[in-house]
Amino acid sequence: MVKLIEILEGIRPDVDFLNETNLINDGVLDSFDIVSIISELNDEYDIAIRVTELGPENFNSMEAIHKMVERLRTKE
Amino acid sequence: MPLFTFNNIKLSGMACAVPKNKVTTESFKGLFGEEEVDKFMLMTGVTETRRTSEHQTASDLGYTAASALLNYKNIDRNEIGALVFGTSSPDYRRPASAFVIHKRLGLSVESAVFDISLGCSSMLYGLQVVASMMNSSDISKAILIVGDTATKTTNPEDRASIMLVGEASVAVLLEKVEGCEPITSLVRSDGTGYRYLIVPGGGYRNLNASHEVEICADGNKRSLHNSFMQGTSVFTFTISDIPRAIKDFWNLTNTTVDNYDCFAFHQANLYILKQIAKKLKIPLEKVPLSLVKYGNTSGASQVITLCDAYGNCEGETIKTLLCGFGVGLSWGVSSVVLNTSDIMPIIEDDTYFEEGVINSVSDL
Repeated sequence: MVKLIEILEGIRPDVDFLNETNLINDGVLDSFDIVSIISELNDEYDIAIRVTELGPENFNSMEAIHKMVERLRTKE
Repeated sequence: MPLFTFNNIKLSGMACAVPKNKVTTESFKGLFGEEEVDKFMLMTGVTETRRTSEHQTASDLGYTAASALLNYKNIDRNEIGALVFGTSSPDYRRPASAFVIHKRLGLSVESAVFDISLGCSSMLYGLQVVASMMNSSDISKAILIVGDTATKTTNPEDRASIMLVGEASVAVLLEKVEGCEPITSLVRSDGTGYRYLIVPGGGYRNLNASHEVEICADGNKRSLHNSFMQGTSVFTFTISDIPRAIKDFWNLTNTTVDNYDCFAFHQANLYILKQIAKKLKIPLEKVPLSLVKYGNTSGASQVITLCDAYGNCEGETIKTLLCGFGVGLSWGVSSVVLNTSDIMPIIEDDTYFEEGVINSVSDL
């Protein structure tokens, strides 16, 4: 979780990832942010985030992103 | 699968034509704001694109490139046995634009002529199709033309695309040459992504679709006759499927990154190219860029990049990996051996086929 927050804050230092729960639905993150996050996560955790994972339910909060990463790591 | 190997067929010339009209990315600051445009330039690398005038089409640019190439290579036009045009920007709903180019180039009726409806992978599929036709026929010379004019269907206020796309067409000459290095091609497709890059209106599914401009979920204005791009989905496809296809290609051909002098990739955007290069450990100096000056030029990307990088070079042999990916979804990888003296510098041209502009039924 510490590494994850480092990645997210590295991409958007102005966002309160600890408390935001509607990062996508409220438009806090734009498409450039999402692609940057996907790239970093793929590299850091050696996972492949596919198009089917792109729903807001996986990106609306740090908790949701963490759960997705853990799920994909188990699958890989 | 499918992997194709073509012996005794050479890619023996290439040319590219772009319109003269330059559109700088900076010029969008008034419309989209300074911060957004600066961020866009940082991510995509695009500082300038070229744009056609109202009636100039991809087939006009393709004609210019092909005509210059045939003259440069001193080819008798009667020897061309096939002309294939890869485009998503046809002149008409029918006939195929390849026939317009065929007429303008003055090619023989003893030739096979048709369009391939693809975008950013047109060059890869086109090479595979033309080389396959030559391989199984007595055709000794063929022309493949690829190009698009994507801004014509892009909403001028669509910040996701209007600063990214550039317009260009390219022409390549394929010849039968005994004993030359083979062309090897791998192509793949995924129809589940048909909506990721789409112009939904104007086809036969919805011929009379509304032209009303609406605000889309991503905040951009578009009508059903405009290009839609699900950028994040396309990006995700690109950084997972493209490196995998290239790795598979290397395995199937027993090659590695070290076997190639140049990687002529579809110029999707700088961020994507860096991601692909990083995943495959390709040195960036082997990945020439044309997107800075010409933007994302769809299927013309690989050849415009080679013309930009090598168009004024003395003869040097380069083993090149071509890669294209996009609308469909569709992607491909090819290895070709090129002589840089066969690569023409980029041509600028604003002319168009005036006879082809039909404004009244009485013109027919």
